[in-house]
Amino acid sequence: MIDLRPELGAAVAKLEQRSPYAAVLLSSREGISIEVEQQEEKISQLPLSAGIVVTCQANGILMERSLPGFEAGRLEQAVRALHQELPAAQNRTPAADGDVAVRDFATSGKLPAGDLRLEDKLERCRDIQRRLAKIDPRVVNARVGYVEQSEASVFRSRSQDLAQEVVRLRLFVMAILSQDGQVRYDWLGKGGTGGWELLDYTDEELQTIVEGAARMFSAERIEPGEHTVVTGPGVSGVLAHESFGHGVETDLFPKERARAFDYLGRKVGSPLVDIVDDPSLDGGYASYFFDDEGMLSEPTTIVDKGIFRSGISDWLSARTLKLKRTANGRRQDYTRKPYARMSNTYFGPGATSVEDLFAQVERGVYLNRWVNGMEDPQGWGIQVTCHYGREILRGKLTDRVFSPVSLSGYVPQVLDTIRAVGPLVLMDQGTCGKGHKEYVPNSAGGPHLLLQVKLG
Amino acid sequence: MADPLKAITDSLGGRRDLLGWTAVQRQLHGEQLFADRNHVEVRRSVETDNIAIDVLCASDTDPSMCGAARVMLNVGQEAAPAIEFAVRAAQRTRNPIYQLPGPAVLPDVPTVDPQIVADPAAAVTGLHERLMRSTASPADARLTLAEWFVEHEQSHLVNSRGVDARQAHTRLSLEWIVLAGQGEGRVDTTFDLDRRRLADLDVEGEWDRVARQTADRERAGPAPSYVGPVVLRGSAVETFLNSGTIGTLTSGKSRFARISPWEPGMSVFRGEVLGDPLTMWATRLIPYGDHAGAFDEEGLPGQRTLLIDKNIFQTYCASARYATYLSVPATGASADLEVPPGATPQAELLTGPHVEVVAWSWFSPQPTTGDFASEIRLGYVVDGADRRPFNGGLLVGNVLDALANVRWSSETGFYGSYLGPTTARFASLKITPSRDA
Repeated sequence: MIDLRPELGAAVAKLEQRSPYAAVLLSSREGISIEVEQQEEKISQLPLSAGIVVTCQANGILMERSLPGFEAGRLEQAVRALHQELPAAQNRTPAADGDVAVRDFATSGKLPAGDLRLEDKLERCRDIQRRLAKIDPRVVNARVGYVEQSEASVFRSRSQDLAQEVVRLRLFVMAILSQDGQVRYDWLGKGGTGGWELLDYTDEELQTIVEGAARMFSAERIEPGEHTVVTGPGVSGVLAHESFGHGVETDLFPKERARAFDYLGRKVGSPLVDIVDDPSLDGGYASYFFDDEGMLSEPTTIVDKGIFRSGISDWLSARTLKLKRTANGRRQDYTRKPYARMSNTYFGPGATSVEDLFAQVERGVYLNRWVNGMEDPQGWGIQVTCHYGREILRGKLTDRVFSPVSLSGYVPQVLDTIRAVGPLVLMDQGTCGKGHKEYVPNSAGGPHLLLQVKLG
Repeated sequence: MADPLKAITDSLGGRRDLLGWTAVQRQLHGEQLFADRNHVEVRRSVETDNIAIDVLCASDTDPSMCGAARVMLNVGQEAAPAIEFAVRAAQRTRNPIYQLPGPAVLPDVPTVDPQIVADPAAAVTGLHERLMRSTASPADARLTLAEWFVEHEQSHLVNSRGVDARQAHTRLSLEWIVLAGQGEGRVDTTFDLDRRRLADLDVEGEWDRVARQTADRERAGPAPSYVGPVVLRGSAVETFLNSGTIGTLTSGKSRFARISPWEPGMSVFRGEVLGDPLTMWATRLIPYGDHAGAFDEEGLPGQRTLLIDKNIFQTYCASARYATYLSVPATGASADLEVPPGATPQAELLTGPHVEVVAWSWFSPQPTTGDFASEIRLGYVVDGADRRPFNGGLLVGNVLDALANVRWSSETGFYGSYLGPTTARFASLKITPSRDA
């Protein structure tokens, strides 16, 4: 990749002889996974995706060629093919050397993954697996999954020459328990852009996973209806992600797909609601230095004190709608086009301690383990499916558990019922699709929230 | 130009420290088109070319155990360091020993559309033009986004036991967003679909269906509070069956991980079976099925495996690895589902008051229990000729309990990853209203 970087300026200049806009992206996504279970261990390289994307514009159409590898011959082939398809003569003057911003970025950590041998990583996974397996005799399998994703990219346009290396780490722990022929499980995940210092699990944390799975044996179906709910940070994050995350991706706006477009500057929730997307979040699992269209990362305040302030944008929709460009033009990999996508999306912190927040609940449900969420940017519906919910009685958690629990409702109504917000923001890690495709690393989080919603 | 796969298999074959190896080269050419309602926004041409290498070695700490590891190479990438990494990684892990599949007769299952192979760019353009002609007719709904992906993939698998096989697939995928109404009353439908050949996509028919459903969403009322018969048809049946529970409980990998409690010979139901008996195959032999193929990623021949026979669980869907571990036949890890025709004509299943669920926000039952509570995007309360659309309620139940009391239609259809009855009538499911009107 690095050998090809000096050639990119000439490629852009050649295409801009005939196109008002051209860019080249070199993108590499690779990594390893380690899985350790009771009876099995695996080490794999993650699916490798590395290639060149050449982009230019002609007659209002964005044209792209995506080719595998980083051979100079392939770049020439793509540029030649596109050049032939472009109408003759735009006659833009190539940028002078001094006009090009050259910057290089890389993530770091206290204990970088690159400093550990493969054997060390495997042994750390084994250690967690052994500690988890011995907590309870009902544990029939303890599963530890480690994923290390390395993303390298170079972006070249007429004014930018950017390079970044981003390493994302994630360690997922699951306890599978068996009792009377029934199987139940629970899990916990940690991760971020940084080093292995993010991935430590205390014995207490492992204990809570086993206790969570054990409680599932006596789980009941919840009485459908409106409930007072406290959401943990992960579920708060999914609420932000599905409500004013997907719903404000600006590539939906010109297609009338997002009701939020009609609500810019208007109230969409309680004054306690702040929602932010921040690809520059230090250590965030979905952080990056610039997006796949060369926009440098910075935070975007989407909702400020209950007022919708800004969407998150890709190059094409920001240009079409003359909106502020944010650093959210992301591709699944070099084989896919960029869309407006979230990065680290979260509810902002409030002032109510978690203890005081629970104390306000006479009878309610604590939701802290989500399975999936689904957006509905047009109808402003929301569904968050949780693995389980725990009963809150007079401000305290009981051992009563409901499973599964689906939270659903109309987004502005759900956000308007938020009446207390905890002080500490914590982030979950995962993968997000646009609909059911275009998967990118993603992170969502928030503080504890107290709200009134319908559960079923 | 040298054959990179041959160089790699020669290198792997010359090593004495491997118990086995598999190398698969995959080459793909795709065309993509993205449009709004009036014009094409983006056109893309895509190529990929990579080689996946799996190695099996004795564990360095226990020769009676083995280790496996996978690496992937991009075109032009040097193979030797990647193979060394794979061997070192495999030697560090400890697993029971298993054997890779050997040569076998491969089925001849159609997976390639010659029209796509001949000119994928023309195929994608032709599909979009058909859609544009359909949307030009007056309708209560309008297209706002269309995305098309057309691909031709060729793969070549070689392993240490003598398998040397090639196969090809074509695939078309689409996503349409359809709108109805204006302002606050505007609603949309996201429609996506995967097929292997152009002939299995009725662009005009699908447009009519999706446009009609979107218009119905605009006039939909709130979900009723309801307990009673629920009907699923077509792709909704496919979604229900392929939602994870059956896949998890019948998976050899899940069984070995002790996630699935199912054992051959046991009833898949916990109570009395009041509906049609359940029989189900996992198959890679449906012509142009999503998982159809002559062989899987290990090199096992495509098969049709009886998973459930008249309510009794028969065998797991197992790769060679998990088949060895569980002492069961190797069937392949994943497949499409096939259900035999039922005894009741569809017209009879649609008689009498019932609710039909057409689409969920995301139907996601718990994998091991089958419990679900999933938001309905579009449903109908049906009573004779009266069909009242609704949305926003939760369908609540359990996948296995529902299948214990279902009647299947005698008519069958093909839905990409499912071949079987077009209609299922569940005797009793619950809907709870969840969203304010």
